[in-house]
Amino acid sequence: MTTSSNANAPRLGASGKFKAVCAVLAALAVAGIAAWVYQLMGGLGVTGMNNGTSWGLYIAMFMFFVGLSAGGLIVASSASVFHVAQYKKVALPAVVLSTVCICCAGMFILIDLGGVQRVWQMLLSPNFASPLMWDMCVITLYLVVNIVYLRFMTSKKPGAEKRVAVLSRFALPIAILVHSVTAWIFGLEMAKEGWYSAIMAPLFVVSAMDSGLALLLLSLLGLDKAGWFKTDHKLIASLAGLLATCVAIDAFLVGCEVLTMAYPGASGAETLAIMATGATAPFFWAEVVIGLLVPFCILVFAKNRVRMGLVALASACVVAGVLCKRIWLLLTSFATFNVAGAPGVAGGSSLAAHAAGADMWVTASSYAPTWVELVVVVGVISLGALAFLLLARKLVPAGVAFAGEAASRTSGALAVEGV
Amino acid sequence: MSEVTSPQGGLTRRGFLKAAGAAAGAVGLAGAASMTSVDGWLAPAAAHAEPQERVAHLCHQFHCLTGCNLKCTIRDERVSLVEPSDLAEKSHQTVCLRGISEVEHIYSQDRLQTPLKRVGERGEGKFEAISWDEAIQTIADAIKESQQKYGEGSVFIRKSTEAGIDFEFITSLLHADGGGNWGLDRGQANGTAATFGAFSYCPNRSIWEMPKASTIIELGHNPLESGIVWSRVLMDAKEAGSYIVTVDPRFTGTAAKSNEWLPVLPGTDAALVQGMIRAIVDEGWYDEEFVKAHTSLVHLVDRKTGKSYRSATEMCPNPAVVSMEPVGAPYVWDEVTNAPQLYNAADVLPALEGTWSVDGVEVSTEFTLMKEWLADYPVEWAAKTCGIDADTIVSLADRYANNGPAILDFGLGGPDKYTNADVLGHSSSILVALTGNYGKEGAGFGFFFGGIGADDPAATLNAWTLPEEYGTTDGGVAMYDMPYTQNNIHVALTFGDAFTLEAAAANDMLAWVKSLDFFAIVDIYHSSAVDYADIVLPSCSKFESEEDVKSLRASYGHVMLANNLVKPLFESKSDLQIERLLAAQWGLEDLLPESYEELGRFMLEGVEELDPNMKGITYDALLEQGGCMPLPGVGEDYRVDGTASDLPTPSGKIECYNDYLYDWGQAFPVYEDANEAFEANPLKEKYPLYFMQGKSRYRIHAYYTSCQWFQENFGPYVNISPEDAEARGLKTGDTVRVFNDRGEFKCGLHVNRSLQPGVLFMAETTYTRYYPEGFLQNVTNSARLERGYDMYFGPQIPYNDTLVQIEKA
Amino acid sequence: MTKWGMAINKTRCIGCQTCAFACKMENNVPSGLRWNRVLTEGCDVEDGALGTYPALSRAYLPIACQHCENPACEKVCPTRATYKDDKGRVLVDYDKCIGCRMCMAACPYNARVFNWNEPVRDPDFNYGDKDVPVRPKGVVEKCTLCKERTDRGDEPMCVVCCPTKARIYGDLDDPDSEVSRAIRERGGYVLLEEQGTRPQVHYFD
Repeated sequence: MTTSSNANAPRLGASGKFKAVCAVLAALAVAGIAAWVYQLMGGLGVTGMNNGTSWGLYIAMFMFFVGLSAGGLIVASSASVFHVAQYKKVALPAVVLSTVCICCAGMFILIDLGGVQRVWQMLLSPNFASPLMWDMCVITLYLVVNIVYLRFMTSKKPGAEKRVAVLSRFALPIAILVHSVTAWIFGLEMAKEGWYSAIMAPLFVVSAMDSGLALLLLSLLGLDKAGWFKTDHKLIASLAGLLATCVAIDAFLVGCEVLTMAYPGASGAETLAIMATGATAPFFWAEVVIGLLVPFCILVFAKNRVRMGLVALASACVVAGVLCKRIWLLLTSFATFNVAGAPGVAGGSSLAAHAAGADMWVTASSYAPTWVELVVVVGVISLGALAFLLLARKLVPAGVAFAGEAASRTSGALAVEGV
Repeated sequence: MSEVTSPQGGLTRRGFLKAAGAAAGAVGLAGAASMTSVDGWLAPAAAHAEPQERVAHLCHQFHCLTGCNLKCTIRDERVSLVEPSDLAEKSHQTVCLRGISEVEHIYSQDRLQTPLKRVGERGEGKFEAISWDEAIQTIADAIKESQQKYGEGSVFIRKSTEAGIDFEFITSLLHADGGGNWGLDRGQANGTAATFGAFSYCPNRSIWEMPKASTIIELGHNPLESGIVWSRVLMDAKEAGSYIVTVDPRFTGTAAKSNEWLPVLPGTDAALVQGMIRAIVDEGWYDEEFVKAHTSLVHLVDRKTGKSYRSATEMCPNPAVVSMEPVGAPYVWDEVTNAPQLYNAADVLPALEGTWSVDGVEVSTEFTLMKEWLADYPVEWAAKTCGIDADTIVSLADRYANNGPAILDFGLGGPDKYTNADVLGHSSSILVALTGNYGKEGAGFGFFFGGIGADDPAATLNAWTLPEEYGTTDGGVAMYDMPYTQNNIHVALTFGDAFTLEAAAANDMLAWVKSLDFFAIVDIYHSSAVDYADIVLPSCSKFESEEDVKSLRASYGHVMLANNLVKPLFESKSDLQIERLLAAQWGLEDLLPESYEELGRFMLEGVEELDPNMKGITYDALLEQGGCMPLPGVGEDYRVDGTASDLPTPSGKIECYNDYLYDWGQAFPVYEDANEAFEANPLKEKYPLYFMQGKSRYRIHAYYTSCQWFQENFGPYVNISPEDAEARGLKTGDTVRVFNDRGEFKCGLHVNRSLQPGVLFMAETTYTRYYPEGFLQNVTNSARLERGYDMYFGPQIPYNDTLVQIEKA
Repeated sequence: MTKWGMAINKTRCIGCQTCAFACKMENNVPSGLRWNRVLTEGCDVEDGALGTYPALSRAYLPIACQHCENPACEKVCPTRATYKDDKGRVLVDYDKCIGCRMCMAACPYNARVFNWNEPVRDPDFNYGDKDVPVRPKGVVEKCTLCKERTDRGDEPMCVVCCPTKARIYGDLDDPDSEVSRAIRERGGYVLLEEQGTRPQVHYFD
């Protein structure tokens, strides 16, 4: 066990490598900001979005990052709420991760707005019937909880630990809520066959848990590898077991949804056809194989869960799979129009506006992100990564988190430990 | 609610006719440079906090045969809004997408802005801007030189339907050749002219009677996409329960609204009609009383000569339709006296059928001869020829003959575009004659589009005439024949694009145009022919005038004076001023009105005394009323109630037997295949697909090509059936090559179930620049029907009588 | 109360697109956008046909904002930029629109279009009704039932211009209005009734 003294610990920050990584991330972030400024000047027409597919990569990334932020807070608050002592060891990096991710999610929403300069209308003229308004409220709350959490956890004042415990009781339901509300942005839209489903909220929660956990695992393994914050591999294995459970539940929910869509052979089946064999099929099958099957098959075996390389691989698969899921879930429902016929919908994108002949119309919608969107997304992710590194450096004490033996028995992970 | 008001600053500069714009800047035309960019015209003269609005009225297109009166809102000197006029009678308060979209079309990027001089090869489309003085001078010099060298008739001048000022000024002033027969879409009319009278393709009953018809047959007519505003009455009829049958090779808009669609093979409509005639005769469904009273079918024919048996002394009330020569009165066989009697003798009871010998001459009634003709053409033959089964033909005949009143509404420009169109027109006439569906309420025959448009009989206007010594020279060769027939034309001046629209087989026509000494064009837009011209003059649209007023027109019971218009855009000028500029080169401008106002005042001067219908319609009253006045006493349907009596044929009857065509074997309309488009044509092995062109809602012929609003919906693409597409591995969105021995072009493709297998369809031309390569006229058929020269409207251009092959480009 | 609405006679609709262009003109709708469209139902090309040759059919469907009584778009708008006015119209307050496009995702009819760019107009000036507000980039727009015209007592432009008089505009709250009678007597129906949006634009055959 190394000393908890910060001063003479071998810090990542001390190395030139750290500086180089930070510099690269900062450069990418600046590029992203520049692309966003370009988008502000030209309008959203510089993206691949159009009147057929009116939401694109930004909203997919928003969904994705809301989910990613889950792992941290859920693990951290579970530590207190369910007294999973071992999780307490990683609570701090987990909450840092959570904070950064939710900030990224918020950024994507703002970036996606066509009139961000009028966003204060959300305060002046709020409509509390709008799921987007709920989401804004709950995300703000979530962010506040995260920050307060960080404040308490890093506080050296007496009683901080108790405050953390109290806060955890609120944090957990808020975390569940934030994913549910995000789900309801989609799940309450009757107009979109592929979205309108009561399973959307549970699906989002479990997706958040598996992708969030996976990202947390990747972060911990990363910190571990960097030799900056050591995490006991038993804890990793335990978290990996929890991840396997989440992946299984995710697969179960997706299966339920697909069966419900397919069985009546009605309009749901048409939507299913688009994701099974149509435009979004690569994302759907990537999620099923890379995001569900592969990681589950790896993590279901206890012996694999202690192999950090395999855990990292499985976690990366889960993160990638959930990203694919966000994409197919979002885009599939835009592909066709409820009222079908030629010439279709006036596309309206800048490409369409200047297209020759009848090219401005779409009878079936398609979407591909432009370089602007890709640069902005890379920029936001870089900014997030940079923020994580800097915050971790500032807040996380160098050391090793050991899984408490006794506590592991109460862990939710126990159920799968024997597998 | 507060409103976002951000008046657009910084208007973008667009490449308006790049060559012209750049060149204009280079030569530094006084005052022109600023006008050759959009900024110069579209930027407000002053900051406009409060926009200045006024209202203009004008009569829009005649060419779609609707003549809507449009109310235009002019804001800051731009036409900003177009809507139906509130000055017209309720039934004529109409507009369609073409009127609406003028808001863009007037300002289109394809507008010609300055006079241009060709600097590249003919057809290359390279020009530089020149001044009006230079342009007019160049044209005049070329005309003078040619007329000096080759005679007055060596100059060909043609004005398109909507071009000019409704008067034949410049052609007559210069004694130029007017290009003879137009050859456009009067194929069926060639067949109806001799039977019902010269202009009988115009129905003699109001279109507003359509809902009174029990049966309406739309024979190759698609008003839903051509004369769009007349669709309203067809839909009235549909809602009133009229049974509508559309005969058309493709599933048109009109077919889609009909109770029944009969997809005939292209160019075989006449077989269908003849099958109906045969069924009616076989079943005895003809109206014997009507036939005897109103048709020539009881008239006697000399079997040996094939000529009608006529009196040498007693004359028909009217001359022959085509030759205008007096005609002897025909005889009938009187059943009372059992002897031949003059057809119009008192108390005569004509026999319907029979053959008799009179003074050694064997005579039969036309009816008898008709039966002999029909003997060779059973309904089964018709079914096989036109592709509609025999039962359907018989039931259509039953419906038409026995479920009247019935209207046979044929389109101009559909079946007309095959060489055998006269056979169809003649056959239809006989069908009408047999059933008596003519000259009574809810019955009718012809091209139903409301009235006769510009020739509306309800209005009387003075015609501006030139002194007698001025008139056109007739070189005897129609424009469409000029590439093929020896002629004396060396110089051409066209108002509008005559060469690519009013002729088929464009490669032939344009090769001939290239061989001319000089060609100048006056056009509003950079149309297909512009690229071939030596000098280009920009004319302005109907919405622009140097004065406050413009054309005075009579349309469907209204007199309309365009007024309160915007000034000509760029450097364009009105047709009148262009003609005056040209005339001035010969010192003849004083023979023309100085202004549209002078012309308008002249046209209306004293008409009140000439025609009680014109009461109260004076120039000043018209202006005061806003520019549109209904003719008092004409009523909403502005049509006389025509009868089946005293028709403008020699005998005043429906003359079914056309003995003037006996030598052609067409005294009765003996069926013949079209020139190229028929099933048994061996050429089909090489070119298996029929190529049809027709109307689109987005065009009047090529007009509106440059409307960018329409470009958003519609471009040059060919429609193909799914079967033919699949066989060739083609799909919607492909670029395809359409070709035959006459030429080829490339365009987009729509796989469309509305097409029957074996048939391609494409809307009429679009300027060549909008095609990837070539344009549709490169493949169309320019064959001539020789007997057409003997007919009233002459040979017609058989655009659709065309076979092609198609492949992926 | 007044509840403006419309009934469209599909038998009379000939798919001529006049209403689509009249709307574009009147409302200064920029290039690439349309508030009002005329679809050839179920086809992938305009003027296509359904069925097996030669038993074909074709129906045209003019479609714009349905001015629903239960507008999905209004509910989800976070800033109340989309609202139902006292005349029963669904309208957009462009000053409040933040461009989040929740309404576009919510509208089952794809009636809404978005100013993805600085609007480009052809011709390059503000055509149409002078009282229609000009929309900047980043806001959503759609049919207003020609608010500016109808507030002056005129009928919407699509109704006035329809060559076959297929459109009837009027007060749905007045049982004796022509539009109410047409819906009642000619078997009016609405699009996507199962969505529960209760459109105020009705159709009849």
